[in-house]
Amino acid sequence: MWLPLLGLILGLSLGVLTDIQIPAIYENYLSIAVLAALDTLFGGIRANLQQVYDDKVFVSGFFFNIALAAGLAFLGVHLGVDLYLAAIFAFGVRLFQNIAVIRRILISKWEERHIKKDENTV
Amino acid sequence: MMKKPLQTKKNSKFTRKQLIILIVCITTGFIIGYSYKLTKNHENRNNSYVEQEESYREDLIHQQERNKELAEELRDLQERLRDYERSFAKDEDKYEHLLEEAEKLRLMLGKIPSQGPGVQVTLNDNEYDPNSTNPNEYIVHESHVFSVINELKISGAESISINGQRLKSNSYIRCNGPVITIDGKHYPAPFVIEAVGDSKTLISSLKIVGGVFDQLLSDNIVVTIEEKNLIQMDSISDEA
Repeated sequence: MWLPLLGLILGLSLGVLTDIQIPAIYENYLSIAVLAALDTLFGGIRANLQQVYDDKVFVSGFFFNIALAAGLAFLGVHLGVDLYLAAIFAFGVRLFQNIAVIRRILISKWEERHIKKDENTV
Repeated sequence: MMKKPLQTKKNSKFTRKQLIILIVCITTGFIIGYSYKLTKNHENRNNSYVEQEESYREDLIHQQERNKELAEELRDLQERLRDYERSFAKDEDKYEHLLEEAEKLRLMLGKIPSQGPGVQVTLNDNEYDPNSTNPNEYIVHESHVFSVINELKISGAESISINGQRLKSNSYIRCNGPVITIDGKHYPAPFVIEAVGDSKTLISSLKIVGGVFDQLLSDNIVVTIEEKNLIQMDSISDEA
């Protein structure tokens, strides 16, 4: 349970402490990569809660989504079309959906536990 | 979309799952942290740019204010200059008059050298006339010199000299037998009277009918009047 959190903190500190400089043009890609990573992460959590989690899907989705988002942004920059907006929109919508699903599952679980408790007490 | 999780080998799957989650979390964290840092750097850079711009703008404003002050000062000074000029213009006529008067007075006093066009009047004794018994009838008297000088002064001569001796305001001329004495110096005939002034006026006033010229001629005096383009007289202080 604490492993993901630990990993997140480790990654955060690593990211803050690294001193790599990338050109300003690629900062757009990074923001999309952030969205993609968050989306995949929440997707994984949801899948886990829905008991449909799969390693390969999760890992491939994580990296593929990031690559796709970056690629879209890249293409958009070179075509003069703001394609990264599409990626942001898609990932944003999915992020909200995932979080909503997670919330519902958690609520239903909590209610189930509550009912069980009530049953136990009664 | 999702495969059914395999129930077999649950233990190894669990650790593998954990590892994958760890890797994904680390990657996500890294991306987020890095992005955060980049954004912060960017903001810092932006802030420094903004600060620089601000300072430049302040400088510019400062300079503009200074410019305005200086422009106002310039306007002030120009206004003052114009005032001066106006007062000058008012007094200019007065000044010019004063200047001319001073110049005239100086010329009259002989304080400055005088030069310019003028006339040269030469008075000489007539040749000895054996028929005449009175030699006074054909020599130049100081009265003749006086009349010439008087005429010259009336007709606007700036300065007058006799035989090179410039006349002052307080000069005196005396008859002293065959010579005349001017300021203590004796001069014999012929007397060369030079006058600086408008030569035409001087000559015409001398030669006026019944004037000095005729008088001198009637007194048997040899008179020659010459118009000179340039007569030069030193200031009296130089001679003294």
